[in-house]
Amino acid sequence: MKFAHLSDIHLGFQKSTALQKIEQDVFEHALDECMSRKVDFILIPGDMFHVNIPEMRVQKFAFAKFKQVYDAGIPVYVVYGSHDFSPVSNSVIDLLAETKFITKVTKVKESTNDKIVLDFIQDKKTGTKITGFSGLKAGKDIAYYEKLDRKSLESEPGFKIFLFHGGISELKSGTEPEGEYMPLSLLPKGFAYYAGGHLHKFSHQKYDNYSHVVYPGTLFAGYHSDLEENARGLKRGFVLVEFDDTIKNIEFVTIPNTNYELIEINAENKVAKSISTELQTRLKQIDPANKIVIIKVEGELSVGKTTDIDFSAIRESLAKKNALEVKINRNKLSSREYNITPASGTNKDEIETNVFKENIGEIRLTQKELTGDEGVKLAKRLLKDLGQPKLETERAAEYNSRIEQNAFEILGLNKDDS
Amino acid sequence: MNEIDIVGQVIGGGFGDIIVRQKSTKNLEIGDLLVAEEDSSYLIFQVFTLEYGSQIQDRMQEMMSGVNLEQSVSNAEFYEPEFVNYVLARIKPLARVLKSGNKVSLPKSMPSFFNKLRLINNVDLKFLQKEGDQIFIGNIRSGSKVIKEAEVWLKAEDVFSHHILIPATTGRGKSNLVKTILWYVLDTNKVGALVLDAHDEYFGRLGVGLKDHPKAKDNLVYYTPANPPPGAHRLSINLESIRPDHFEGIVEFSDAQFQAIRTYYRRSRSHWLTDLMLTDPETLAMGGADQHRAEIAAVTMSVIQRKLRLILGLERTEDGHVISNHEVFDSTTKGLTTVDDIAKDIEQGKVVILDTSRLGDEAELIVGNIIASKIFQTYKDYKAKGELDRKPVATVVIEEAPRVIGEDVLTSKNDNIYSTIAKEGRKFKVGLTAITQLSSVIPKTILANMNTKIILGNEMKQEREAIIASASQDLSEDDKNIASLDKGEAIVTSIFVPFAMPIKIPLFEDLVKEKGTKQVSGKTKVF
Repeated sequence: MKFAHLSDIHLGFQKSTALQKIEQDVFEHALDECMSRKVDFILIPGDMFHVNIPEMRVQKFAFAKFKQVYDAGIPVYVVYGSHDFSPVSNSVIDLLAETKFITKVTKVKESTNDKIVLDFIQDKKTGTKITGFSGLKAGKDIAYYEKLDRKSLESEPGFKIFLFHGGISELKSGTEPEGEYMPLSLLPKGFAYYAGGHLHKFSHQKYDNYSHVVYPGTLFAGYHSDLEENARGLKRGFVLVEFDDTIKNIEFVTIPNTNYELIEINAENKVAKSISTELQTRLKQIDPANKIVIIKVEGELSVGKTTDIDFSAIRESLAKKNALEVKINRNKLSSREYNITPASGTNKDEIETNVFKENIGEIRLTQKELTGDEGVKLAKRLLKDLGQPKLETERAAEYNSRIEQNAFEILGLNKDDS
Repeated sequence: MNEIDIVGQVIGGGFGDIIVRQKSTKNLEIGDLLVAEEDSSYLIFQVFTLEYGSQIQDRMQEMMSGVNLEQSVSNAEFYEPEFVNYVLARIKPLARVLKSGNKVSLPKSMPSFFNKLRLINNVDLKFLQKEGDQIFIGNIRSGSKVIKEAEVWLKAEDVFSHHILIPATTGRGKSNLVKTILWYVLDTNKVGALVLDAHDEYFGRLGVGLKDHPKAKDNLVYYTPANPPPGAHRLSINLESIRPDHFEGIVEFSDAQFQAIRTYYRRSRSHWLTDLMLTDPETLAMGGADQHRAEIAAVTMSVIQRKLRLILGLERTEDGHVISNHEVFDSTTKGLTTVDDIAKDIEQGKVVILDTSRLGDEAELIVGNIIASKIFQTYKDYKAKGELDRKPVATVVIEEAPRVIGEDVLTSKNDNIYSTIAKEGRKFKVGLTAITQLSSVIPKTILANMNTKIILGNEMKQEREAIIASASQDLSEDDKNIASLDKGEAIVTSIFVPFAMPIKIPLFEDLVKEKGTKQVSGKTKVF
């Protein structure tokens, strides 16, 4: 008997058409692989979708594929992840569950303020007993585990699987994103397999009383940093598990996605101009066609501003050479000529004022209204306005136009003047 | 003063040793706190000795006893015995309190002759009111009587950054005191505490403990090497987290051995332990291109490897890998972030308990050293960046403190992180909470830096002398007082209290009953 364990597929995350196609392809490929390998069931512990109600395009292909899996007689057991969770059971996961294409495994027998008693769902064909918890945002699901009645779960005989969506602190390697992690001890002991979701890299660890704690990682990418990992050669895929009354074998099945080019440049103590030259030289050495090109520039420039490096032109030139997508990471690029000096304060407002005050003198400007206290006031008004959220009834284009108009008004400019 | 409250009257003596005649119906105790009222202030005294006084010569007393004992004369006594025989109490002044404003100062004058004294009450101790972020130590005690309403609260940041010493012999309530202090630390996020729990007694794995605090879920973190209870973390430290300086002052390495260790660290950084253990001592002399390695003697390498094998449980596998059989240290991918995680918790003002009860002495101290070094360095960096003010004070709670700050350790080995914290931690808001049975073996320079001492009962004269000599207040008359401290009774001497305060520490179990987590009925919504 065997089952497949996929997670963090993040359908609907990609914005560009090229990457959306890859996202769909790897998802379909993975489920085709499950069907061709004749798995008895599939586990997906969370973040199948990037949001709880993704766009119709995503829903359509997801429904089509899950119908195929359903028709093949393969049950799919899921829990919500922190991205596709819905507090009112109003997500596409719930829709899929309604159609019986997938089954949500969290079955609460009893719940009080201090105790949650879970029940198992039994896979008809294999007799496997499955239970688990969904993952909530900001690790709020930890409260579930603190109240979980472990005894009833641990004393249940048979081959048992626990689904969870969250980071386990013992499995951290230091490269994971910041966030809430819970100790392994919060999971009930003695299950044959712990199917994890949330961490985007494949990991399989064994501990006393927790024989197999496994994360398959994302199938393609759910964070921008995942693409960088892919470009560094990290394999993506799912986990295939052979079992009878115990686990017999755990195999990581690679699902190829696309080709990458990664260009990393250390800008520390370099001149902006030389970074531009170095970038051009490096770009000439690669063939970007049908590849995701990731450019990462880090460090503090000794001369020149970060804006002196024309990343837009680089992006355009790569697009002309048929790059699938160009991702430019310059988060850690700064300039010695102009660096934001941090400032403290007792509240947000005070910190903002102090940061502007500390830094406004760094910029040489002739317009009086942009310097000194007046400049600080103007900057604060602008910041406040730019921070306004989108209204619920507002479309993206309307929101952009409103914010743009307000900004022009604050700056005393007329849009048509430009 | 109400006549019925009077316990005695000043009849002589001098400053610091005033003689009081006890009223016949009263029964003064050593340690009792007495009050003498004056116009605008009142003086607080403490009884440090009790003795008999009599108007009759000793020979007459002896004869009277003979009549009683030898001639079977019952009830033979002097006429009006309460006037003739009495008890004399010797008292010392502790504080003068101004009635308006409750300002406390050190007394510099004596009470008037024949001044009448009464026992202290809670109104006299109003100046002990809690203000701001303070931690509770105990209730004021007058002799064996506890004044429940008079609570001693100390400012957490001051007390912990200036180090705390808890001298105590076994069975005098040391563990109860530490648990009580930590219980109040858990109330807020103003103090981050790293607790090296050598007896696994603070968390309450089996009985009541700090886990029962209502805020334990948010503010308490428990690490244990094996079988962690739900919510606890597995204590696992990756070999990559260990640096040569973590062994300093804990493991005895010769200069040559340390030099070899540092050579490996410089060369291989985080993999130095693996590389060192994989080196064949016999081939060292043929170091080839690596000149540094060629300078390490084969015997030196063998000794280093043997010591590391013993302390860290390191073994070399047939296929050329290094594994650790130790419960805590890991050579694979486990425990890579444990040290950083703990340091972050401390920075957030949490109490982190490390169950080191299953570790050997050296392993326990190395684990503590690795983490304490990280905390100390992090706080130093915050000071350099000007961010220290926003951080909670951090303290490292360590039992059997002479293992790391004892005279013999500090003279025979290099300084370790604990002694560094004791000497300079205050500048960086990092302090030690050192628990010991043997204060006398801690160097005077370090003892003097421990600015708060919570003294529990101690029957060893040498230890009492060491404590008295380094106390923040004059305890020269308190030798008998310290010797007679019962379980749970203590004297707090500190630069942050106006006088050495006799206290009674509440029973931790009672604290849990009164303030522990209460079950609330209702329903949890599970999605």
